[in-house]
Amino acid sequence: MNARKLISALVCAATLTLPLSAAQAQQQTLVVNSWGGAYEKLHRKLVFEPFEKANNVKIQVVTLYSADTLAQLRAQKTAPQYDVVHFSGGQEVVAAREGLLAPIKPEELKHAADLYPFAAAGLARGEGPAHLVTAMGLLYNEKKVPRAPSAWKDLWSKDYGDHLVLIDLSNSYGMLGFLMMNQVWGGSLDDTAPGLKKVGELLDRAVVISSTPEVQQNFAQNDAWIAPFSQDYGHIIRQGGQPVKFVAGQEGTPAIYFTANLVANRPNQELAKKLIDFELSPDVQAEFAREMRYSPTNRKTVLDAAVAAEVVSGDAVASLVRFDPIKLESIRLDLIEKWKKLIAR
Amino acid sequence: MRNAMSNRRDDAILISPGLLLLGLGFLVPAATILVLGVQNPEGGFTLGHLARFLGDPHYLAIAWRTIKLSLLITLICALAGFPLAYVMARASARLRLWLIICITLPLMTSVVVRTFGWMVLLGRGGLVPDALYALGFVRRNFTLMHTETAIVVGMAQVLFPFMVLSILGVIMKIDPRIEEACRVMGCSLLQTVRRVVLPWSLPGVIAGSLLVFTLSCSYFVTPALLGGARLPVVAGSIYETATKTLDWPFAAAQSIILLVGVMLLLIPYVRLSRRKHG
Repeated sequence: MNARKLISALVCAATLTLPLSAAQAQQQTLVVNSWGGAYEKLHRKLVFEPFEKANNVKIQVVTLYSADTLAQLRAQKTAPQYDVVHFSGGQEVVAAREGLLAPIKPEELKHAADLYPFAAAGLARGEGPAHLVTAMGLLYNEKKVPRAPSAWKDLWSKDYGDHLVLIDLSNSYGMLGFLMMNQVWGGSLDDTAPGLKKVGELLDRAVVISSTPEVQQNFAQNDAWIAPFSQDYGHIIRQGGQPVKFVAGQEGTPAIYFTANLVANRPNQELAKKLIDFELSPDVQAEFAREMRYSPTNRKTVLDAAVAAEVVSGDAVASLVRFDPIKLESIRLDLIEKWKKLIAR
Repeated sequence: MRNAMSNRRDDAILISPGLLLLGLGFLVPAATILVLGVQNPEGGFTLGHLARFLGDPHYLAIAWRTIKLSLLITLICALAGFPLAYVMARASARLRLWLIICITLPLMTSVVVRTFGWMVLLGRGGLVPDALYALGFVRRNFTLMHTETAIVVGMAQVLFPFMVLSILGVIMKIDPRIEEACRVMGCSLLQTVRRVVLPWSLPGVIAGSLLVFTLSCSYFVTPALLGGARLPVVAGSIYETATKTLDWPFAAAQSIILLVGVMLLLIPYVRLSRRKHG
């Protein structure tokens, strides 16, 4: 009796799931990563949702930062689970070297020919193209600061009292900001001592945070006046109602390249390439620029005058500072440990 | 005989899901992690990762902070929890129920959410610093965020129910007539508590302290959010090492040190409680 009941229940469950799995079989799925927060919301709205509709495909988005994505790719080397991975910390250079990415030929992407040279340069090395760029500079509260900052060295000015926000190096924006401060004081990737020494002088006047949303929170609630951070989040914070402005430091502006990469040994590579190509299209990039002030990498992207005034665009992007990702990857762990020792009370 | 056999088989069937869960969900992954901590890249045995922790003042300071704060949190929970548990045990059943609901209600909310609550209360311009400023104790813009005080306050609140409920269970089992006898013989309330209730409820206090201490050693969300990047504790350091710098062997080595450290500190406690239980 019981066995019969069990069997009928199983049959019932099976009939329920059958049509579902048949429908799923017809629809292909792409697994991708995005980085959460305001960016992922926009990523879904501008890229994933329209692409799903246009191509009758299901896109499964996993929220995962770049460094964690690289770690997962390494762990899944024999059986990769992602089709397209996005990186913002230069991890594509490392991933390509380790054979985790599949090379894309420029002729396989409709928009490759329209990219600025810096954005397509990675293709030759087996990396994905850069689809967006954002710049690192200084965010400041224009209502509170006695004078607007204009240089990285202004972070050391006593004008800003103890209203400083510093970002932990485990965050890739934090790392980039630190490397720039290090460079300003005469350091390099081979010698991070000047940066560590000078940033150490700021610690008594600063709040050290470790995640991106905390930057906004500190401007909103914690009376923060100035923070080395990125243009995209500067815009988000301003949209959120804070009188926060972005300014590029005189000494140079580090660039953060967002790259879209094809994962090796996955079945749906044609579709995955189509998704990457879609991210390179001028319309999508114009929307990213309008909504979060990202610099386009496709030279055919047309920006409104108001937007263009607030993003680093065109060939100027190529003049942004970029730290060598391979060298950086080799010193990263050691540098983070030194940093942790520096900031621990 | 047959009966005993089938009983044993039934027992085996009954415990197998639990054992399987314990084995697959805890023992195997925990063992894998522990092995990782004493393995060199070639797969051989090494104490290098452990030595790196134990030989570095930075990491020893983190360990010391963890122990110091956990002891303080345990002490605060015990001092505040014992009187409350006693009152709860001796109150009417109805009042006790309401108090138990009040104590356990916070457990129904995510720790992260409660910690965010503390962030609002303790941060610059929050309720606590504002009140302290109004009373003239601190200067404007004073903040309790990113201090050890914030960690202790937040953790004590999170772990308080564990202490109270452990003590409550034991006090409930003490026959109230013993206390009555004590009062009849001329003890004051405080004397009764000190001479009768406290010694009898010690197993509960010990069990609660064990729970609170081990939990506070291994918590990382609350210290990370309230203490910030500049006040690392061991559990937080393990988390950072495993997820941010992806140095799994070193994260595993820190886990071994945390595990062994907690066990070493627990042995005297367990001995003590065994003696009390007789």
